[in-house]
Amino acid sequence: MAPLLGPVRVLDLSSGHLSYCGRLLADFGADVVLIEPPGGSPARRAAAGSMSAAFAFTSAGKRSVTLGLGHPDGLALFLRLADRADVVISTAAPGELENRGAGHQELLGRNPGLVFASITPYGLCGPRRSWRGSDLTAWASSGALPVYGDPDRAPLTPREGLALSAGALNAAMGIVLALTARDGSGRGQLVDISLQEAVLSVAQEVTPVLALDNGVLPQRAGKRRQAPPMGHYRAADGAVMIVAFTPWQWQALAEWISQETGTGEVLNERYAGTPADRRPYAGELDGWIEDLTARYSKQEFAEEAQRRGIPVCPVNSVADLLADPHLAATGSWVSVPSPDGAIRMPAPALSVDGAPLTVGAIPAAGAHTAEVLAADLGLGQQELIRLRWSGVV
Amino acid sequence: LTPGHERQPERAPAGALPLAGVRVVDLGIAMAGPLTARYLGYFGADVIRVESRRRPDSLRVSRSSWLPAGTAPEVAQDTSPLLSQSSADKRGVVLEIDRADGYRAFTQIVRSADVFVTNLSADVLPRLRIGYDDIRAIRPDAVYLATTAFGHEGPYKSFRTWGMNLCAVSGLDAMVGWPDRDATGIGMSFPDYPAALIAVTAIVAALRRRKRTGQGARLELPQFTMSVNCIGPAVVDAGLGRDSYPPRGNRAAGGEVQGVYPAAGDGRWVAVTVADDAMWQALGSVEGLRHLGGDPRFASAAGRAEHLDEIDGLLADWAQRRSDWQAAAELQEAGVAAAPVFDAWDALGDEHLASRSYFQLAPSARFGTDLVSRPAAAPAELTQQVRAGPPAMGQHTREVLSEVAGLPAQEIDQLLADGTAYQMPNPAAQLERPYLSWIGALLRLPWQGPREAG
Repeated sequence: MAPLLGPVRVLDLSSGHLSYCGRLLADFGADVVLIEPPGGSPARRAAAGSMSAAFAFTSAGKRSVTLGLGHPDGLALFLRLADRADVVISTAAPGELENRGAGHQELLGRNPGLVFASITPYGLCGPRRSWRGSDLTAWASSGALPVYGDPDRAPLTPREGLALSAGALNAAMGIVLALTARDGSGRGQLVDISLQEAVLSVAQEVTPVLALDNGVLPQRAGKRRQAPPMGHYRAADGAVMIVAFTPWQWQALAEWISQETGTGEVLNERYAGTPADRRPYAGELDGWIEDLTARYSKQEFAEEAQRRGIPVCPVNSVADLLADPHLAATGSWVSVPSPDGAIRMPAPALSVDGAPLTVGAIPAAGAHTAEVLAADLGLGQQELIRLRWSGVV
Repeated sequence: LTPGHERQPERAPAGALPLAGVRVVDLGIAMAGPLTARYLGYFGADVIRVESRRRPDSLRVSRSSWLPAGTAPEVAQDTSPLLSQSSADKRGVVLEIDRADGYRAFTQIVRSADVFVTNLSADVLPRLRIGYDDIRAIRPDAVYLATTAFGHEGPYKSFRTWGMNLCAVSGLDAMVGWPDRDATGIGMSFPDYPAALIAVTAIVAALRRRKRTGQGARLELPQFTMSVNCIGPAVVDAGLGRDSYPPRGNRAAGGEVQGVYPAAGDGRWVAVTVADDAMWQALGSVEGLRHLGGDPRFASAAGRAEHLDEIDGLLADWAQRRSDWQAAAELQEAGVAAAPVFDAWDALGDEHLASRSYFQLAPSARFGTDLVSRPAAAPAELTQQVRAGPPAMGQHTREVLSEVAGLPAQEIDQLLADGTAYQMPNPAAQLERPYLSWIGALLRLPWQGPREAG
């Protein structure tokens, strides 16, 4: 069947984790052209000089065109490409593209059908629009950060790049909606993604409206909530996450503890019910639960708990994922060609019409410059040679 | 001052919304599925949420903490504030589809729908006859989306999980913690939210494809692999043997200067990221931090990475002499990424969010008015008022069974009488959230422009 996104041309000026937006659109079938400075984006290289993992993961399936936007000829070529594009994605700081004459107003003025997606720390309007930001500051601005970590230390940020992922996904959603709006009106528009709002969109469970309704600020609770069993418990080789909300899930766990550790007291009626009912007894209960969990490896404990109907998963490290039996058995890895050899990465989660999305190759810097400039702008061989010599492409 | 646009609501007339004319049937619980449908509703789709009274949504079981103890359950079920997030801009019908009459009425609703969304467990879908083949048999060109925890195959396929379990198994939790202690994890149902964003993107793209080709779509999104993709770069790094991503406190993986430092005042903090040499030089121009900028040991990224403990100490010492806002503003002035660490109250009162119409008030059957937020993904000209708060349980049962399913009044009465359908009881019982009388004024809703200085 046809790919999800039909013929959609995207010019991608983004870099780093936020480049996942264009990657998702490429997975969906869009023609995504990554615009890099001549010689390739600095984001390509990790500290050690090899290919950066963020670049590898976020640029798979894109084409690469090197184009110096600081050079008048390069900028002119970019503007001509933008005139024919459906979407431009930018992660430039507010004002940066405007100063070059390539801001959203300029581009939309030339190509009224364009969808211009901008991802910035705080969006393009509002009092803090010109503030700089990072993954950490996006979490800090969401209201969620004080909830994570241990009570006796500073708030801890979720990682690794989750705020940026949320920004990229919100941008992709905004882009397809703006394309649909264009189908009706013929007009494109600005998609103005604020990372502050993007984090709010993925952390609402711990943020403002819920706290207001509860009338209390949630506090840092460490590795588990004070209403057992909800959180991490030590296993022989790490930890497991137990979440037993329902009375019958608790009953199953209590019976298991009693059978195996001989602590019959855990079956006492006073501990029955929901986690909130057990709050006063967190100290003794957490101890008894850990007496059980510590006897198993995290994987074994999770499997046995699941057999008993208790929602438990191993707390996997990123390295554990590489050997996870479910990911291995479900074809959840792909090997993607790159200029540095094949790179293994998680396969896209979405399947369409019963088939997984396919992932394209990671392009070498400028691998598609000649092809795109010739096909789209009709540039001849001589012109391309001249541009290369003058450092524009 | 504002480059090019304002995030003022009501720029888009309802008929001009991109999903006007699209009908969505939403049969799910808690967050990922209902939130997907809620987003579609904001952008103009007619969303019909189908609920069960015998197997209620967990958000119908939980209730607001301020409710008086004796509040009747049929009223309390409409009060969870998470419902306004999962189910604004929808109509609600309660129908027991595991009964023959209920499934027949459900079939009539699905026949009129363009999109079907569910996040029920993989093993429940065939039991309730809401797998792709079931829905396609009713509506051949349906765009069908099922988001499950682990998909339909593999060793974990029948694992019971909540969102917090998924954070653990997908590697998100183990990275969050201090290097000298057990990881603390992120302790919330994170995966539901990115799942909804991807689901909407896929559904809207599939609707565009359907316009071109006439074909529906079968979309399946397991949240385990989806979460692993959210940390894709870290997973690639681990696969290359470069980094196993142990807990690092708030430090950046690349060794950049980054931290959450105590500011003046109880429980106040400022978050700082120094991304590169240029930002470090900018930091060195800030009053009170010139000695850092001038220290040759810290001049290069590698030098700073070697002295992170010392730099953290110096920044903490500087920060605690200022308020969080003052520290962030001084650093931002110089061009350094910094922000006060907001708690929930700070975020609610944030003038920046307010100026972008992030929080809104919407009409509600139980509350008169309820507090909601708009989708962060809303394109500039599609930023508008949320049209309706979440439906009360069964608020539109009769309307939907009559207008959408086309059932005669007699049959609807029968369904209601035998408990196959259920409608909102006691619609006259109005509640008031304790903060609704003042929150609109505090947030200056609708937004009237920045408060006068001073």
